[in-house]
Amino acid sequence: MLKPKSWRTGRYIAGNYLFILPFLAFFLAFTAIPIVQAVFMSLFDWPMLGKKRNFIGLQNFIKLMDDGIWWQALRNTLFFAAMTAGGLTAFSLFVSLQLNKRGNGRNLYRFLFYIPVVLSVAARGIVIGWSVSTQYGLVNALLGTIGIPQINWLGEKELVIPTLAIATLWWGFGGPMLIYLAGLQGIPKQLYEAAEIDGASQFTTTRKITLPLMAPSIFFVLVTQVIAHIQVFGQSYLITGGGPGRESYTSIFYLYQTAWRYYRMGYGSSIAISLAVIILVLTLFQFVVNRRRNEVEY
Amino acid sequence: MKSNLLGRLLTHTFLILVGLACLLPLLFSLKIALEPTRFAFQAPTWDWHDPSLEHFIEVIQRQDLLLPNWFVNSLFLSSTIVILQLSIVTTAAYGFARLTFPGRNFLFMLLLFTMMVPGQVTMIPVYTMIRDLKLLDNYLGLILPAMANVFGLFMIRQFFLGIPRDFEEAAMIDGAGRWRTLFVVMLPQVRAGLVALGILTFLGSWNDLFWPLIVMNKLEMRTLPVGLTVLNGSYGAERALVMAGAFFSIVPALILYGIFQKRIIQGSMLSGLGGR
Repeated sequence: MLKPKSWRTGRYIAGNYLFILPFLAFFLAFTAIPIVQAVFMSLFDWPMLGKKRNFIGLQNFIKLMDDGIWWQALRNTLFFAAMTAGGLTAFSLFVSLQLNKRGNGRNLYRFLFYIPVVLSVAARGIVIGWSVSTQYGLVNALLGTIGIPQINWLGEKELVIPTLAIATLWWGFGGPMLIYLAGLQGIPKQLYEAAEIDGASQFTTTRKITLPLMAPSIFFVLVTQVIAHIQVFGQSYLITGGGPGRESYTSIFYLYQTAWRYYRMGYGSSIAISLAVIILVLTLFQFVVNRRRNEVEY
Repeated sequence: MKSNLLGRLLTHTFLILVGLACLLPLLFSLKIALEPTRFAFQAPTWDWHDPSLEHFIEVIQRQDLLLPNWFVNSLFLSSTIVILQLSIVTTAAYGFARLTFPGRNFLFMLLLFTMMVPGQVTMIPVYTMIRDLKLLDNYLGLILPAMANVFGLFMIRQFFLGIPRDFEEAAMIDGAGRWRTLFVVMLPQVRAGLVALGILTFLGSWNDLFWPLIVMNKLEMRTLPVGLTVLNGSYGAERALVMAGAFFSIVPALILYGIFQKRIIQGSMLSGLGGR
């Protein structure tokens, strides 16, 4: 590849650094160095105020392994993430298959379905918090018209996480839907024409042609959604406040409580790092999957 | 073709129901905001009761809320972050795409690696740094940490890599330097990428909750989502007022979405996550 020669000489090389310098400075100050710092802080008893910081080695992590709230929060988080990601993956796929079948009004539907995605978590939280409230909420009112008695969606131990998961499905399915629609458009029309000539039913076509070809996208959506929803915070903070009891405590909600309510920065860091390790493993997994996705050929 | 007609009917019924599920909670919330407060504490009905803009006006005027401040804060912060971040990210993306310098590959690998580390890890250290720099309750406390968007860098770099080198060579022969080549020749060709990233960044910043929540404590420094959150927590009895407040956050996002629908959808596809 021919490159403009003069850009490579010494004076220019120094100048080339100028292009990346501002980015690099911010990156080092607000990403790279803090990552190292977080590991460092997790080895200390580090209160928010005051200068007394004691090196305690792995004590924070040992304490964390014995911390019932951490485990409960992690269990809630994984339950929520699995349910939300699973639901989103399947529901978005179903919606995009329906959309792909029909040309009529496709863009209008797509426009509508994506509306909740662009709203802020705060606005969605307020709207959902009211919608699922027991006495005056929309959901119970609609269910009431078909004779279902009022349900305390956020107050019941068994219901709170599923309710938050369905709420998240409501406001998030438009995202994966777009990824699927892009994938569906990439499947060559000839395959469907051939199937039609062979007399395959629509169900068979979907099962034998569409789904196998979409498998990489489906996998990609599933893993990225799990990663995204393990980091759930707004739902607990805004809608339930972690309750009832600690039934909707999530890992980041607990991190927030520890660091910014109880001012324990060291212990908070050990929560952050433990959670990060879990997410990192999933991310590495996703990188491998994603590489495969990009290699798919029709 | 009978079964086809039935199939079509079923599909459209399903799609319309999903569409209603998307819209109804928002429409009924709007109804609450428009009706007198007492109707917020009755089961929702389809009938209208004396709709007025009363709550919208009250939520703007209330001196204990400062909603206009929150709105301006959100607007100012989101726009500033978009402009600064795009400038910083674009020049760096060009550097990594086209220019050579020692250590380029190492730095690139470092960026790639940190992209895998989830954001929660850096929150506590960045927070203590912001606090030590006395930038709590300061716009800079939200702007500075948002500058080095690694994902954005990768995205724009990808756009630069897609441009044939002939353009730069022609510019060189005509005597243009690197900066001029970037601004005059290259930027117009990555406009689609810049717009997509800009809108995603704007919406992300406009809607962000966690970071503004811990950095902005003073009433007048809050952003709209933080203000709404506090409003929701402490004014539960005034649901209509809270709903009216929420629409000050919803409407601008919807307008932006309406105008830039194609770009937003394109950008979400590029980001792979499709929003959250």
